[in-house]
Amino acid sequence: MAGATSAAADRKIVAFCCRECAYAAADASANARTPLPPTVRLVLMPCTGRVSPLHLLSALAEGADGVMVAGCLLGQCHYREGNFNAVDRVAFVQRLLKSVGVEPERCQMFTMSAGEPPRFVAAVREMDRVIVGLPPLPRSEASGNREVPLAAARGAA
Amino acid sequence: MPLTHRGREILSRVPGGTLQSTVGVGCEIVRREELCVGCGKCATNCPSGASERGDYFDVNQLLDAPAGSRRGALGSALRRLMRHDPDGPVHVPERVTVYRTILYDDEKCLGCGTCARGCPAEAIEALPPKAEAAPTGAADPAAAGAPASEGVCA
Repeated sequence: MAGATSAAADRKIVAFCCRECAYAAADASANARTPLPPTVRLVLMPCTGRVSPLHLLSALAEGADGVMVAGCLLGQCHYREGNFNAVDRVAFVQRLLKSVGVEPERCQMFTMSAGEPPRFVAAVREMDRVIVGLPPLPRSEASGNREVPLAAARGAA
Repeated sequence: MPLTHRGREILSRVPGGTLQSTVGVGCEIVRREELCVGCGKCATNCPSGASERGDYFDVNQLLDAPAGSRRGALGSALRRLMRHDPDGPVHVPERVTVYRTILYDDEKCLGCGTCARGCPAEAIEALPPKAEAAPTGAADPAAAGAPASEGVCA
């Protein structure tokens, strides 16, 4: 697939995609047989406003090297302002990561419309470039009281 | 224990009115930050503005949160990723509402216990005023009858 190197092949990116735009764009790009980087796993969300900090952090803690949130253009959310919530939550997670010494670039937000498959592909490739450029994300062993993961973090694998 | 704005205003209108000590009249407010879920109900209900929802978040609150809670889940995910202790409080964007530290100002607190009654996480407890600190008579009903968790006083 698309000339993946062995170092890049075991990285994982979880992309939380809005059903109204990014997932439709992903669908269209798949129909057009545009290859996506092999690192990316798509998760369908009803709206990026559904994405919580817990989704993003548990995806990282459970094996993803990067997470991306792909939503509608700002101001074009199907539910009016869901993607604004997502923008702020992604910013919050970035600050959390930064404060404990993890690269904040591992969590990013992209916006696009349903009619722009190339923009979706470009966003995924950009994320892939960033993550492959970073070392694998080190994790400590599961702490004893771990209770999490929401289905979202697992469903991607 | 300071008065509210309204109380101070009334006091200024009372001829010859002087502020008598109210220390010990209010409940003793015990806050357990690690149980806080950041809902801000205490800040909404607080009559004196002693509790306030801040615009930053202390990351240690996540790491200390009890397992099984939502914050505990987020905290354990973060603990697996962290490379060093948190640098300090993080500034929280506007639309993130629950991951905020509630600021509590001891000086402004009246000890009314409204926050404790409204707290859904039982993170705040209002203890009856200590009998020895209370002026005679003022705190008797609260000290005598009320159970500790109720916070009925003032």
